[in-house]
Amino acid sequence: MEDFEFLRNVTIGQYFTGNSIVHRIDPRTKITILMILAIVNSFTTSYTGNAIVLSVCIAYVIASGISFRFILSGVKPALPIIIIYALMQLLFFGEAYEPYGLASEVYFQWGVIAISNGSLQLVIVTLMRFLQIFFLVSLLTATTTTTDIAHGVEGMLKPFQRIGVPSHEISLIGTIALRFVPIFAEQLEIIMKAQASRGADFGGGGVFQFVKTARQMVSLIVPLFVDAFRRAEDLILAMDARCYIGGKGRTHLTRFHLGNLDFTIMGANLALAIAVLVLRNAFPA
Amino acid sequence: METTASPTALNTRRIVISGVLGAIAILLGWTRIGYIPVPNLSANATIMHIPAIIGGVMEGWLVGAIIGGLFGLSSFALATVPLFKNPIVAILPRLLIGVTAALTYKALKQNNEWLALVVAAIVGTLTNTILVLGLAGIFNYIPWVAMPPILLTNALPEVIIAIILVVAVVTAWKRIETGGGEAKM
Repeated sequence: MEDFEFLRNVTIGQYFTGNSIVHRIDPRTKITILMILAIVNSFTTSYTGNAIVLSVCIAYVIASGISFRFILSGVKPALPIIIIYALMQLLFFGEAYEPYGLASEVYFQWGVIAISNGSLQLVIVTLMRFLQIFFLVSLLTATTTTTDIAHGVEGMLKPFQRIGVPSHEISLIGTIALRFVPIFAEQLEIIMKAQASRGADFGGGGVFQFVKTARQMVSLIVPLFVDAFRRAEDLILAMDARCYIGGKGRTHLTRFHLGNLDFTIMGANLALAIAVLVLRNAFPA
Repeated sequence: METTASPTALNTRRIVISGVLGAIAILLGWTRIGYIPVPNLSANATIMHIPAIIGGVMEGWLVGAIIGGLFGLSSFALATVPLFKNPIVAILPRLLIGVTAALTYKALKQNNEWLALVVAAIVGTLTNTILVLGLAGIFNYIPWVAMPPILLTNALPEVIIAIILVVAVVTAWKRIETGGGEAKM
C-alpha cells in the first residue's frame, strides 16, 4: 500500500500555523525573496555559489521552525527519477561537460562511459539547485496561508494592471491551483486504491511497453479529470451564486503593510544575490 | 460547454477551469505519475502537458495558455536536469501547447469532432516536444546529432498516450454533462 501514499508526500500547499519570523513577514517579502533567489539559482553553476545559497535556504527553514523531515518527505516521490538522471549525467556526460573553475580531469573511462570531475560537478550542483528551490517553495506554502499568498501576488501585480494585466484573476487562478493540489493528491490515492482493489496492476509496463503503461494511465487519469471537472463545476456555481465579478472595485478585509523588518530582509537578500552573481566568476570551484 | 464570451475575457468559468487543470498538471509532475518510461537517453515521455491540451480544447486558447504556463512554472521550479533550469526552455514552449491545440480543435471540429480531438492532441504534444528539443539544441543542452532518435522515441509514445487520454477524458466528460449513457460526439 505504500506505493499509493501520495498525500503524505505532497508537501506543497500544506500550511502550518506558527509564529516564527518567517511566518510573520509580509507575503510579498517572501515571494520577492523566492524570485531573487530563483534568479541567482539559475545563474550559479559553481560549488561555492550553490553552497552559499543552499545554506541560506537551510537557515530559512531552521528559522521557520518547520521540520526538515516534513519538507524532505516531499522529495520522496521524485527520488527514483532524480537518481536515474543523476546516474545518466554522471556516466554519459563525462566528456561533454566542462567543469567550472577546475581543470578537466577524467576519473574513469570505459567505452561510452566516462566519469569526470565535470560530470560529478554537474550532478552535485544540479541536486543542490533542485534543493534550494524546493526548500523555498515548500517554505512559502508551509508558512503562508493560500489567501495571504493570493493577496501578496495580487498586490505585486497591481502596478501592471494599467497595461491590462488582470492581477486579481491571475492571483485567483494561482490560489485555486495551489489549493487543489493536495485535494487531487488525495483523490488520486483513492482512485489508485480503488483500481488496485479491482485488480489493476500499476507496476509499470517497462520501457518498450508504453502502450500498456498508457492503458494503465487511462484508469487513473480519466477518473481524476472527471472528478476535477465536477469540483470545478461546483466551484463555478458557488462563485456565480455569490455574484463573483472579478477584481473590479474589490477591497480587502486585511491589508498588508511592509515594515522595516520586511525591507531589511529584502535588502539583505538582494545584497546577497548581487554579491553571488557579481562574484560568480571569482569562486574557486 | 463552449463559452461564448470573447476569447480573452477571464470569466468565472475560465478562472476556475484554469486553476483546477493547472493543479492536475502540477500534481502529475510532483508525484512523477506524469512520467512514462521510454527507451532513450531522456528516459521519459511526459503526460503533464495533457491538462493544457484538454483545457485549450474545452475552454479556448487563453485557458490552454494559462495551464501551460502553470505547468511550465512547476517544471522550472521542480527541475532536476539543467535543461529545465532555463526558464526560456521550461516555460515558453509550454505556453503554446494549449494555444495550438485549441486553434486546431476549433478549426476542425465543424467537420468531425472526434478527428478534431485526435489532431488537437497530436498538434499540442508535438508543439511541446519539438519546441523544447529545438530550444535544447539552440542552447546547446543536447547536440543536434542526438535529436532524431530522441524525437522519434519521445514524440511517438507521447503522441499515442496523448490521443488516448485526451479522447478518453473529453468524451467521458461530455457524456456526464449531457447526461446520456453514450458519448454524443
